[in-house]
Amino acid sequence: MRSLRANLHALTGAYAVDAIDDEAERARFEQHVRRCHDCTAELRGMADTATRLAFAAAQPAPPQLRDRVLAAVSRTRQLPPLAQGHRHAEAGRAAAGRPPIAWRPRVAWLIAAASVIAVIALTVALVQTSGQLDRARAQQARIAAVLAAPDARAVSQPTSAGGTATVVYSKSHGALVVTSAQLPPAPPGKVYELWLLGPPKVRPAGFLRPGRNGSSLPVLVRGLVRGDQLGVTVEPEGGTPKPTTTPILVLPLGV
Amino acid sequence: MRPASSGSGLTEGRDRDLDGLLALVARGDETAFASVYDQLSGPVYGLIRRVVRDPAQSEEVAQEVMLEVWRAATRFDSAKGSAATWVLTIAHRRAVDRVRSAAAAAEREKRTSVLLSAGDEVAEAVEASLERERVRRCLDGLTDLQRESITLAYYGGHSYREVAGLLGLTLGTIKTRIRDGLIRLRDCMGVT
Repeated sequence: MRSLRANLHALTGAYAVDAIDDEAERARFEQHVRRCHDCTAELRGMADTATRLAFAAAQPAPPQLRDRVLAAVSRTRQLPPLAQGHRHAEAGRAAAGRPPIAWRPRVAWLIAAASVIAVIALTVALVQTSGQLDRARAQQARIAAVLAAPDARAVSQPTSAGGTATVVYSKSHGALVVTSAQLPPAPPGKVYELWLLGPPKVRPAGFLRPGRNGSSLPVLVRGLVRGDQLGVTVEPEGGTPKPTTTPILVLPLGV
Repeated sequence: MRPASSGSGLTEGRDRDLDGLLALVARGDETAFASVYDQLSGPVYGLIRRVVRDPAQSEEVAQEVMLEVWRAATRFDSAKGSAATWVLTIAHRRAVDRVRSAAAAAEREKRTSVLLSAGDEVAEAVEASLERERVRRCLDGLTDLQRESITLAYYGGHSYREVAGLLGLTLGTIKTRIRDGLIRLRDCMGVT
């Protein structure tokens, strides 16, 4: 027990320079910090030290960046403060006029994300060749980046075919990760095809393929545009350019 | 050559100014934001360049970071740390996120070899500033292993696992070197 704690404590340095890439390890460390007064003080000193390292690396930003940032600022709404009640009020305003959507805050989505992460590990375990492994790892890293994004939100919804689909969405990445649990196998010769159902256009977005333990393999969907909804239909193996059956799931994304 | 104390004096003055400016930014003051931008865009962009390397991608990440500073200024809590540290923590995280996404995987291989062959690139002053001098002196005061571990992790954006692999050492050793090195840097720089 003591050695475990000492082990965690030794991570302050790595944490301060964002060098812990294992989500679970980082979560354990953060939990430890909440109960460790010395850690908080030590981390603060280290963060300030890192800031000095950043200042030592300073170089002039490209001049056009300033204009672009200031122009973006003038059309970007600021986040509501974290004071009690504000977050909910804001969420309510954002959702006004749109179908209600139960995006859960970061802490809650970690639970949903945990199942996605388990499935990612499986993807990597299943592949055979090194080329496949590289691709799987690349995909895993992209998916992990979405899951780890500070603005990531998760939502789950049952499908009409049974089971539940879970979506983790990050606005800053302009991407989402889809997986499902307990979705019955598609009928023989058929697949579950994903769609972005946009007001301008409907685009195919990949397939939900069975993984292990009743989960599907996670799918990364990019290129979201405002007003997109996520849809799932049953289609012939290989997929179709347009949905041909009634969706078993339509999920507004609040994008 | 220069009085040793002026570095931290400047730092403290800068921190007070920035904390005040960020409070104005939180209330939607775009002029205050422009001042924050002018004071921090250099370190933000420079740090991101060190980690990401590619100029176009770095510019993109820097834009995201500065916009995030604007959006989230309402949630900055000066009781928890300085404004500069808050902004540069966001910048480092975003830069690391960018290089850990696999699109950059191949690029990282190259970057690692560049970083290792360049050795103590931190010492190369791009601008001669007292801060840079002081940081360089403090880095020089670390053991080679501490300096390499911190450089690879912070400027290289590598996880401590990757640093262990690159240097051929155990995870435990790298964890300890990064921590001990940062503590030594902190004491050397007079961070309180």
